[in-house]
Amino acid sequence: MIALTGLVVRRLGLLIALLAVVFVVVDLLPGNAARAVLGRDAGADRIAAKEHELGLDRPLPVRFWNWFSGAATGDFGTTARGQSVNELLAAKFPQTLLLASVAMLATVVISLLCGLWWSARPTGFTARVMQPSSAFVIAVPEFVVATLLVLVFSLWLDWLPAVTFTDRSGYPASPEMLILPVAALAIPQAGWNSRVVRGALIDAAAAPHVESAVLNGLPERTVLLRHVLPFALPTIATSFATSVGTLFGGALVVETIFNYPGMGAMVAGSVSDRDTALVAAVVAMTGTTIMCVLLLADAIRAWANRGRR
Amino acid sequence: MDLNRRQLFKAGLGLSAILAIAACGDGSSSDGSGGSPQRGGTLRIGAIGKSSKTERDPHATMSNESDFLIMSLIYDPLTVPGTDPNVAPRLASKWESDAEQRNWTFTIAEGATFHDGRPVTADDVVWSLRRLREVAGETKVPVSSVDDIKPVGANAVVLTCAGPNSQLPLLLRLMTFAAPKGTTDFTKGIGSGPFRLESYNNGNARLVRNDNWHGGAPLLDAVEVTLFESPESMANAIMAGQIDVASSVGAVAGRTAEARSDLQVIRRPNDVAIVIAMRTSDGPFADPRVREALRLAVDRPAMVAQVLSGYGSVANDILGTADPTFDSSIAQRKRNVDRAKQLLADAKFDTGRTYPLVTKQEAAGEVESAKVFASQAKDIGLNIEVVVQEANAFYDDTWLKAPFYTVNWGTNDSVMFFASKVMSSRTKWNETGFKDAEFDKAYADALAAPAGAKFTEASKAIQQIQYDRGGYIVWGMADGIDVASRSVQGLPKLGGYGRVQLERVWLSS
Repeated sequence: MIALTGLVVRRLGLLIALLAVVFVVVDLLPGNAARAVLGRDAGADRIAAKEHELGLDRPLPVRFWNWFSGAATGDFGTTARGQSVNELLAAKFPQTLLLASVAMLATVVISLLCGLWWSARPTGFTARVMQPSSAFVIAVPEFVVATLLVLVFSLWLDWLPAVTFTDRSGYPASPEMLILPVAALAIPQAGWNSRVVRGALIDAAAAPHVESAVLNGLPERTVLLRHVLPFALPTIATSFATSVGTLFGGALVVETIFNYPGMGAMVAGSVSDRDTALVAAVVAMTGTTIMCVLLLADAIRAWANRGRR
Repeated sequence: MDLNRRQLFKAGLGLSAILAIAACGDGSSSDGSGGSPQRGGTLRIGAIGKSSKTERDPHATMSNESDFLIMSLIYDPLTVPGTDPNVAPRLASKWESDAEQRNWTFTIAEGATFHDGRPVTADDVVWSLRRLREVAGETKVPVSSVDDIKPVGANAVVLTCAGPNSQLPLLLRLMTFAAPKGTTDFTKGIGSGPFRLESYNNGNARLVRNDNWHGGAPLLDAVEVTLFESPESMANAIMAGQIDVASSVGAVAGRTAEARSDLQVIRRPNDVAIVIAMRTSDGPFADPRVREALRLAVDRPAMVAQVLSGYGSVANDILGTADPTFDSSIAQRKRNVDRAKQLLADAKFDTGRTYPLVTKQEAAGEVESAKVFASQAKDIGLNIEVVVQEANAFYDDTWLKAPFYTVNWGTNDSVMFFASKVMSSRTKWNETGFKDAEFDKAYADALAAPAGAKFTEASKAIQQIQYDRGGYIVWGMADGIDVASRSVQGLPKLGGYGRVQLERVWLSS
């Protein structure tokens, strides 16, 4: 329990440090939010007034503290354009979370199935296909996968929509609009994780207790599920957890390609606007999500390793 | 920020399809090959925007094309762009000035009513113009203070300029949206325009026909505007048939769509000027012979072909190419390497140095234009290093300061627009450090002249000076490129923000 608390504290510290870095980096970029919002025709006096209004004339640590103390109570402040960051996040974050979750689920299912099959039949036809194809999809970035998917499934075959439209709730108007964005995100991740699952299973299968289980004449399935998989689980869980971060990163790119109504484009727009509050809020939200998933992976690892020490 | 500025200036440009057709019959909208106009149907149109920058206030500085499109359908501006003349009536049915071109009276169109049923009065228009003047400044309402905007009776307003300004009706095109006096909540979208707002979600909107529109009810039942974060996703949407019009989608999508029988490519000439600014007041390009040499170095047809994929036209170092008074009698400047070299030698120009040409990823093809020009300039012995700056940094460090950089502009249908914004010696945006007494005189003459021979003469003088000794290399004009399904008829064809005027669009079955 103490170990877990320490872990949470460390992860939180990392998140706060990350947010501070965001503030510094956005501050270092040339240009400022006041001018970005007011446009070219604003004179120096109007820009100065806007800077004061946005608090840009205050020192960076003060600005960070003001933002952070608000964020800690759940109030992310307002954008340079005066919109509530909380409202923007409420309108966009759930959609990104939906996309990333479905993609993560698909990644987990596909990687486990492929990895299990592959490790069970290491010389079969599947393995011979899996070896190069998994390497290929890992090497190809999400935006290439996304573009190819649109080309094939929307423009050539006309099976699936090329872009996402929203209904009045702000969510994709039909479930089929999720298929291509999810595939674009899940395919590279599944390639990587299938290899991890396979590797972890093969390593685990080489353990002495597995050998004895096989020699005891237990059925293959029992050996795999009862003796190999739990042993391989910590590695697999860690790999999946790491994928969550990559998925979020990929989601930002994929969202732009499919015009998916999530946070991706908002991040790009807010960086070019030097809208620190919004950038930091997005980092805080994704950072917290990733942190929770990492904690979950830690918990799984602790559970799998229980009594092993 | 980049979009703010571009949008602001492009907004001066465009057309009202209905008025252009009715008044001039000049074919400034896509030809009605689909037969006689039909009523009904929903037009699904895509436009570029950023979901982080959506704006609901019609008087705020809008950076999203999608927002501007939605506003233009809901609200009526006083005037809109046309072809010839380049100002057409909208909420103002007519306007007149005193002899001095200082006091301008705009009469509100008969039958103009807001979507909630109230008539549009002089008070509403005065309130809206004053609010716009306060929120957006002199750029959008060129009078010294809000007190210079006054009602005249129940259905007219008078604007008093600080000095003669024959260009006021032009400067009020688009943007001068009228809302009911005292409006505080703009999310309901109560305007007097051809479409009423039905629903709005994160930059996407559904609008329905305003049967009571003073300009005559539109034919479409509804317009659905979808915000696209990138031209690429918008291109995919039109190719996959998920939208009917991709507004300003660009040359790449245009090329792809040319090969498709179910799609039409709408080219709107004089959409964007991507030009090279040379500092005239000091520095290496202060000598007019050097500037002429650079203008002679450029291979204009090659630039149009390589930079604009052929979607554009050659220009002649004069800004405002679509102006009705544009002087086509001035000889087209062509490439002449020998003469350029001679001019550089005469001016004792230092060809041993390398000159930075600063550019930024802003208008499509802007960076490419700098690179292609740099390679062409090698032929006259000029070494150029192309420096690509981030747009924010460009406007802080380079714009109005550096001797050599690229800029892009809309509103290419007005010589006077450019004279006032970037070339008169008093403007704060003098991009080329241009101070020319003769030019200032011609500009003042044009401001004081009513439309007619005297104005045309002054406009031509302005153009001749630009051609002879101006600081811009205006090598070409980029077309605006929209892609639409074949069933869409009557789309606007003028450059810039003219594309937002959708009230006469219809769908053929």
